[in-house]
Amino acid sequence: MTLQSQTSELLPGFEHTAFDSNAVFRVLLDALSRPGRIYDLPVSVATPDGLNATTTATLLAMADMDTTIWLSPSCKTKAANDHLKFHCGCPISDDVVMADFAVARMDDDLSFVSRLSVGNAEYPDQSATLILMVDEISNAPAMKLTGPGIKDSHDLEIKNLPASFHVWRAENHHLFPCGVDVIFTSPTQIVALSRTTRIEVI
Amino acid sequence: MEQTVNYSADGATAYNFAYLDEQTKRMIRRALLKAVAIPAYQVPFAGREMPMPYGWGTGGVQVTAAVIGPNDTLKVIDQGADDTTNAVSIRQFFAKTANVATTEKTTEASIIQTRHRIPEKELREDQVLVYQVPIPEPLRFLEPRETETRKMHALEEYGLMHVKLYEDIARHGHIATTYAYPVMVDDRYVMDPSPTPKFDNPKMNDMAALQLFGAGREKRIYALPPYTKVKSLDFEDHPFEVQTWKDECGMCGAHDSYLDEVILDDQGNRMFVCSDTDYCTERQEAGHRGPQHHDQPLGNAAREKAAE
Repeated sequence: MTLQSQTSELLPGFEHTAFDSNAVFRVLLDALSRPGRIYDLPVSVATPDGLNATTTATLLAMADMDTTIWLSPSCKTKAANDHLKFHCGCPISDDVVMADFAVARMDDDLSFVSRLSVGNAEYPDQSATLILMVDEISNAPAMKLTGPGIKDSHDLEIKNLPASFHVWRAENHHLFPCGVDVIFTSPTQIVALSRTTRIEVI
Repeated sequence: MEQTVNYSADGATAYNFAYLDEQTKRMIRRALLKAVAIPAYQVPFAGREMPMPYGWGTGGVQVTAAVIGPNDTLKVIDQGADDTTNAVSIRQFFAKTANVATTEKTTEASIIQTRHRIPEKELREDQVLVYQVPIPEPLRFLEPRETETRKMHALEEYGLMHVKLYEDIARHGHIATTYAYPVMVDDRYVMDPSPTPKFDNPKMNDMAALQLFGAGREKRIYALPPYTKVKSLDFEDHPFEVQTWKDECGMCGAHDSYLDEVILDDQGNRMFVCSDTDYCTERQEAGHRGPQHHDQPLGNAAREKAAE
């Protein structure tokens, strides 16, 4: 009886696991290989409290029992927790150092980012990916991006991006090949900053 | 006595889409995201046994299986050719397990899996090139220990590679490496471009398409994001240069493509023909003719006579 009441609150995951996760992955692959280019979320998914649709889809596509998720306090609702545990089977840790994927909102206290794993010189792939939920992404000229994946340069604006983010990101860029990759997720769009991307704040 | 083997009526449905299970695909996909974030760095991945032997492109097949979706169109080439055993069987593999459209035309493909060539036609932004890689580590023949090559990459210690190229010059008077010619990616990692002829190295630089590399036996994935700086290693006084041919393609008369030499008999007769079959076919359809094309009125001998 208790089991029934628990599962009845659960939201569905992908409609078709293989096709939907492939579509979301392709967008993520394109986004990370072409930093600064904005992509639309290709599927519609049910969204638990605390996350947005793009973030939910990203985690459904990429997370499983081999990836530890860290959710910021404002994201870590019971609904989000249950949703990820049920559909991804992923461990959810309170320790941000453990995270493979860290999820936060733009208006959260972002001081945790400096504790994210950056990998090591021999295995720089053992680093975390930061998923930041934002309200709006646009190609307005707030940042000028250059680097691998970008022909000449790209303009990008993330609404309400704090200055402290740029300070951390500049340090992060210097660590290359170590470092954290950032995926910005608005309710309908995705844009990524690879650790190689050079940012000039305009 | 008559024996019958009953195959399941609809065998393909016994597999997940694109053969690999979802968890394996996620693991490969995560490796791919790291690979594009760190261009040319070799990401270890838990390579699976595939229903084909190592050396037949198990790495490329696993990368393609993780990337391919139901709307993709797949092209597979082996040394530039669409119609060799390896290319045909991999194309059929995905036609069967993923039910995707396949093509032999470079322009129609959204994913091109390749064994050791890059198509002659310039690739577009909406295309993905997947390489089958036998030995991903460019330093492997210089240093057999993985722990050491890891350290060399970490410390950007590539002096040994330059010594190897220098020894080529000392011995042969020029850099004699003609395939798997090492490249420097985004001024950081030295990468093995897989055993493509060095003719193809310049195409890797600043390419509009995404390039993914999969090594099945060695269980490594690496990548080049689009528009990435890829420079072939060389010396100021011995700059990198690609192969050139005095001959033209015998079928289409191309001078700008990579040519394979075909021995015709035991009298020393030979011809050169485009390695990229799609490029050659397209040129022939457009009316270009080389000296050995079957509707070319002048055969080789007649042409030589005319030249006299």
